[in-house]
Amino acid sequence: MKRRIERVVVVGADAPAWMAAAAIQGSLGCGLKVRVLELPSRLRPADCYSALPALGGFHGRIGLHEDLLFRVCQALPCAGQRLSGWSGASLSFIQGYDQSPPVSGAALSFTQYWIKGRLRGLRTPFENFSLAAMAARAGRVPVPLEAGEFRAAYGYNVDSGAYSALLKHWATGGGVESKSAAIASVEIEGDRIAALVLADGERVEADLFVDASGPQAVLIGRMPEAEFESWREMLPCDRMMVASARPLRPYPAFSQVSAFREGWVGLLPLQDRTAVVACYDSRETSDKEVLDSLPFLANRPVAGGAAVSNLAKGIRKRTWVGNCVAVGEAAFALEPLDAVQLHIAHNCISQLMSVFPVEAGDFREAELYDEIVRRVAVNLRDFQLAHFKLNRRFDEPFWDRCRDIAVPDTLERKLDVFGARGRVPLYDDETFQEHGWESLFIGHGLIPQSYDPRVEAIPEQELIAKVQDRLQSVRALVEAMPPAEQFIAETAAVRETTSSAHI
Amino acid sequence: MPEPLEIVILGGGTAGWMTAAALASLLPPTGWRVRLVESEEIGIVGVGEATFPEIKYFNDAIGIDEAEMMRATNAGFKLGIEFVDWGFKGSRYIHPFGVHGPAHMEHLFHHQWVRALRAGWKSEIGEFSFAAQAARNCRFQFPETVRRSINSAYTYAYHFDASLYGAFLRCIAARRGAQRTEGKVKHVVQDSETGDIRSLLLESGETVAGDLFIDCSGFRSLLLGDTLGVGWEDWSKWLVCDRAFAVPSERDELSPYTRSTAMEAGWRWRIPLQHRTGNGYVFSSSFISEDQAAGSLIQGLHTKTLAEPRMLKFRSGRRVAAWANNCVAMGLAGGFLEPLESTSIYLVQIAIMQLVPLLPEKRADPRLRDEFNRLMDLQYERIRDFLILHYKLTTRDDSEIWRYCAAMDVPESLTRKIDLFRHDGIIEKYKDGLFTPTSWLSVLIGQGLIPENYSPLADAVSEEELIYQLDKFRENIRDRVDETLPHDRFVDRYCAADSAA
Repeated sequence: MKRRIERVVVVGADAPAWMAAAAIQGSLGCGLKVRVLELPSRLRPADCYSALPALGGFHGRIGLHEDLLFRVCQALPCAGQRLSGWSGASLSFIQGYDQSPPVSGAALSFTQYWIKGRLRGLRTPFENFSLAAMAARAGRVPVPLEAGEFRAAYGYNVDSGAYSALLKHWATGGGVESKSAAIASVEIEGDRIAALVLADGERVEADLFVDASGPQAVLIGRMPEAEFESWREMLPCDRMMVASARPLRPYPAFSQVSAFREGWVGLLPLQDRTAVVACYDSRETSDKEVLDSLPFLANRPVAGGAAVSNLAKGIRKRTWVGNCVAVGEAAFALEPLDAVQLHIAHNCISQLMSVFPVEAGDFREAELYDEIVRRVAVNLRDFQLAHFKLNRRFDEPFWDRCRDIAVPDTLERKLDVFGARGRVPLYDDETFQEHGWESLFIGHGLIPQSYDPRVEAIPEQELIAKVQDRLQSVRALVEAMPPAEQFIAETAAVRETTSSAHI
Repeated sequence: MPEPLEIVILGGGTAGWMTAAALASLLPPTGWRVRLVESEEIGIVGVGEATFPEIKYFNDAIGIDEAEMMRATNAGFKLGIEFVDWGFKGSRYIHPFGVHGPAHMEHLFHHQWVRALRAGWKSEIGEFSFAAQAARNCRFQFPETVRRSINSAYTYAYHFDASLYGAFLRCIAARRGAQRTEGKVKHVVQDSETGDIRSLLLESGETVAGDLFIDCSGFRSLLLGDTLGVGWEDWSKWLVCDRAFAVPSERDELSPYTRSTAMEAGWRWRIPLQHRTGNGYVFSSSFISEDQAAGSLIQGLHTKTLAEPRMLKFRSGRRVAAWANNCVAMGLAGGFLEPLESTSIYLVQIAIMQLVPLLPEKRADPRLRDEFNRLMDLQYERIRDFLILHYKLTTRDDSEIWRYCAAMDVPESLTRKIDLFRHDGIIEKYKDGLFTPTSWLSVLIGQGLIPENYSPLADAVSEEELIYQLDKFRENIRDRVDETLPHDRFVDRYCAADSAA
């Protein structure tokens, strides 16, 4: 066997850098050293990470117990995302984190029954049949149930600064070395980084450099053939503002995302505050205008400390070049919508772990990583793009333009097939599965024109019974779920009695 | 009530009756009419006597009782396929329908196994698969339903008589309202503007009109190919076999696996049924004469033949679109991949299961057609690559065909897969496609490709600990296999066919 990767250097800041370091050190720590060169944080006090349920799995892999999020990161569990005003008027809908159980063969999903009902005049919204959406509405947490027909999961909203600090603590406690650093120069030979030279003169070599520096892309941005490919034309918001408002009690179990004339504003509930984030198009409005109208948009007073930044969306032409691999927003960036921000980081890191190079100096895994990351990115981009494409806010230039966006084939097919028959063509490496896309499309008003012919084989009375049964089951299951306050208290109590936390 | 959709199936082979039975079972009683046109004068190919585990989903979906079906078709169970002499002369491995190693750590197991191998601890990877070991020892039981138990993570398929299976489905189809029309097609009437097929004019003079035509006419592809002129994409430079001789012989051991033995110009199959053993030789006419191939097939039999060898001609490839205008091809009319991995019936089944949810209404909808074609393309191309792998990954140089295959250029998608596995044991995954990483692993390693490196994730435990665990796991499998019933006794109890008793 040739030489293994022995030295890994992660360059970056905040959660993505520490997630990468903790994951690599945790899984491969017996054979290699991970060192983080920590760049200045890009976080503002008001920042909040919104995370999908899959983050729980990532924590499991690095051994981090979730009660720490509730105890030190002001975190709240989140069962979904509520969208308001995207379809004009005051229509709202919730995209819950339902998890459809794996169906064998070509089983018929409940969605097909709903479509028939809807085409025959059923008024009950799709989300009423979604366990997570109904939990979200009731302020309850969809805790895992015994295997059954319906399953749902929860994601998290966490204070970005506190979460990053927790992960730093976790990573360094697990043996990751770190140093605050500024990169003075990057020595590149061909498609390899020979060394990083730090501001203090230290020269850093490594077998593998992981760029977790976010959109700055301090390493991958200098590599050959890794130019940034912008998706501005598909995801038009280019400015982002963050601020804070008073906490909401009782704790909501969802994030609120409302459209306004020139973009959207999100309310992400935390224990001690509500994070407010607004994304908009600078061609349509100014930072000042948004700042002035923020309390109105958020429908509540906004505390000081609002901060603005540019928002670039797109992907590196190559996300892994030579001995430099990009993870998180250094690889690709999207809107801070649909709770994808942290997902981008931990998904890239998980992909990296599954194709981790077996030999120093040989990086033929790069091509596969790059393809997978690109597919993940494109699928997520399409998901976000659908929000804009399907809007029904008329006579507002920003939204009118969004409806005219030329969508790529990948999304076009999803819209077509769903519009025709209520089925979602899923590709390799999708983050959101059937239910995610269905609730997105239906929520935005894309109602399929027809349904699976097998639905017709079910007598009308039976169909009505199925619909009613499902409503009742969902209601009963939601009633048994704990409200967020209770859930957090119970999580902490369980933890205290079963182990000695070391933080 | 709107006019019912008239669905016309052309061809009464396995594909035709599978389609008719499925549509008649799955579609609602009103709104549709299913009619199958076939001629007793036209023989059927009777694709595949060996199946893939997905067949069970199909049978379950249309409400077929397993034991009843097995009795009616002289069936036995199948836990995998044994490949003999493929990677090199004297090699022998089973591609099982199940995982290697503990089910919950499937992605890591083979890396650990490679690590142990590199450390000098020798074992066969098949020793870590319950399905492979049960097959090897001619044992069978249904998979355990307790998750994580050693004998839970596998599935099974059947060996059956395909013409009897066709007949079985024909009864079901008829019982559930599919109509059968005897007759040969004389002329296909098309819409002069759109080219859509309007009706089939039979030699009897009868006209069979329809809204949707399902072409199950076999290699001839009478509707999709001949009438609509949908082009053929040829894959024979990668899959060079173009002929097969098939011959039944008297029953011998009822093993729960198909055997595929690489030969001087192709490969031969052995498929054990309750009443006989199916045999065949798939070969390339560029490398051997028909007479020689037939002779070679007969020579290798262990029991007396029950009929004369029958020859089939084919080409590997597929129609560039499985659905064009108002016509969908199923089975051989849409494409052909040699039966090396028992995929023929699967390809019919998956086409039916993709078509049903996308079935058009009276008015055609190109969105549904395009999605169907996309899904079928993925299925065909991914199976194609998997089949080519068997030919490409060989070190045999004792005959022309193997030298050709080892040297041939293969699709780039496959080249990368092989290179990555050779270097680091990584197996790419995909969403739509029959063969999972588990299957790829079996064949890659079985053909003799041991990865040069393994994932550093497999270094988490010490070498001694790892070898201890592997050894214990292997022992557990042996113990479980010993407790498992012999396959022939299991079949006798569960589904003995009247004729074979």
